[in-house]
Amino acid sequence: MNAAIARTAAEEALGFHLPNRRMEEWRWTDLRQLIDKPYPPRQKVEAKGGDVERLLASSPFAGVAATRMVFVNGEYDAKHSKQSNAFVESTAALDDPVNLMNVAFATDGARLRIEGNVDTPIEFVFISTDASPRTVATRNVIEIADDASATIIETHLGEGSYLANSVTEIRIGHNARLDRVKVELESHDAVHLAHAHVIVDRNAAFRDFTLTAGAKLNRQNGTFRFIGEFADAKVSGAYLLAGKQHADTRLVVGHEVANCASRELFKCVMDGHARGIFQGKVIVRPGAQKTDGKQSSHALLLSETAEFDAKPELEIYADDVACGHGATSGDLNHDHVFYLKSRGIPEAEAKALLIAAFVGEAFDTVHHDGIRAALEDFAARWLTERRRKG
Amino acid sequence: MTLLDIDNLHVKLEDEDREIIRGLTLAVNPGEVHAIMGPNGSGKSTLSYVLSGREGYQVTEGSVTYKGEDLLEMPPEERAAKGVFLAFQYPIEIPGVATMQFLKVALNSQRKARGEKELSTPDFMRLVKDRAAKLNVSQDMLKRPVNVGFSGGEKKRAEILQMAVLEPSLCILDETDSGLDIDALRVVAEGVNALRSPDRAMIVITHYQRLLDYIVPDFVHVLSKGRIVKSGDKSLALELEEKGYAEFTQDAA
Repeated sequence: MNAAIARTAAEEALGFHLPNRRMEEWRWTDLRQLIDKPYPPRQKVEAKGGDVERLLASSPFAGVAATRMVFVNGEYDAKHSKQSNAFVESTAALDDPVNLMNVAFATDGARLRIEGNVDTPIEFVFISTDASPRTVATRNVIEIADDASATIIETHLGEGSYLANSVTEIRIGHNARLDRVKVELESHDAVHLAHAHVIVDRNAAFRDFTLTAGAKLNRQNGTFRFIGEFADAKVSGAYLLAGKQHADTRLVVGHEVANCASRELFKCVMDGHARGIFQGKVIVRPGAQKTDGKQSSHALLLSETAEFDAKPELEIYADDVACGHGATSGDLNHDHVFYLKSRGIPEAEAKALLIAAFVGEAFDTVHHDGIRAALEDFAARWLTERRRKG
Repeated sequence: MTLLDIDNLHVKLEDEDREIIRGLTLAVNPGEVHAIMGPNGSGKSTLSYVLSGREGYQVTEGSVTYKGEDLLEMPPEERAAKGVFLAFQYPIEIPGVATMQFLKVALNSQRKARGEKELSTPDFMRLVKDRAAKLNVSQDMLKRPVNVGFSGGEKKRAEILQMAVLEPSLCILDETDSGLDIDALRVVAEGVNALRSPDRAMIVITHYQRLLDYIVPDFVHVLSKGRIVKSGDKSLALELEEKGYAEFTQDAA
């Protein structure tokens, strides 16, 4: 980065240069321009009485039986947690700016090693309470032992103005399974920057779902590496964006060995002046024959002013592979709306039904019934809210 | 009272000047089954869409009165709640919306619009199971998204199932026989016949006489170039089958 460029006030407070549009990966999300005020790191903030309870109760998963670990303003909250941290070492070395900031500023995060089959979902809840603008950084490290299985939820909630930086490192062992569900419901005045780094070993199964509905500015990176054969990863997500929200997901799936399958499916609903971006890259390394890698992103634009950009990329260095990508973006199908209306369903309800069906396809990758139902309820509430606002 | 009164109806596409319906007049009373036959391009499907309220058509002249009210003033969902049902020639596939959920929302929206109590889930399930069994519609089909992956015959059976559940006063069947083999046609026709009642009228739109062997009409009308050029009883359909449409299309020209 050019040292001659004067740091912005936000960069001054962080002590970092922020990525900008001249960097290809950040062309649609110029943090240097979009982060327009300082969010100083390492600020100790005490939650006011009742804040944590209120935010916990607002989680879509409040009614789902789960073992919870709660982090308030970047610190483990023993009072609201059932599970304590294990000793698992961070090993990922990532040079992406979100991770570099995280390494510098992370105060805490979940550390877990899963052995055996854990049936009850484990939920990490990250809460930021209303206080002066600051950076809240957390880092999670999860290891799923060989032959183990678990379902892990990451819920991000908050009030007020802050920058949340969240990095999750995951290693999934031989024959192991991990279902990960992340919901980003940060405060409407928050910035959410995240990176999930997942290493998938032989015969492992990984299912990942991310709902992005909160924050004014969101950037989520995902790096997924296959390091053992016959593994399977399904990475899906949904956006429910309105107002001037901006969300950018960039995934890199690295097929480093043969015989693995990856699927990416993103369903993005955008209203108002919202802007959604999906960048998906599949890399097939030399020797990673019989790779089956497909990605698709679909956007539903509910207003003339909403915008969606998709950038699918394939980098293939093996000759016996099946890879593909697809991206669509458009309005609701008028024939669908008419068909429903012709059966007596009022227009607003017909549209809500079709929007729910559109995002619902991404929820289908969530196998836990209670979690999926909670996501569907959340989407239904979002749609009702949207209708109420007109 | 006449259920449906179409008087000197003229319709054109919104973005084209050419008239498709050119002075159509038809009165339908409760309990009657009217067949409308005509060659391709005679305006059969346009008529069904105009009656159900699809966008893209413009009525330039004439009126449609349904149960004493101006039908053309009502949005499609209001027409449906008041008992107008169109069985589509090409039923629309709606991914992600389960058939059961769709039926329930449709029925309860109509009931709500009419000021009736919404049906509880168990009552609704009973109703649908009963109607589905008669039409050979499997539980599996009901769980699938609306029309998605259905065969041609399944789609038409699903349309008739919707009709049986929603119990409309005026059923418009648009080329319900198209794409059906003889066995599927028989099942669909039986389903339709079971719904014939003194309070319910039907307009059966078809190109071929074949369907009318199974759904026997009280009246047959020949539609050509957007207007009815001849009306008669069921024997007219047989005459058409024999002679073809040529005679009538010439008359109209």
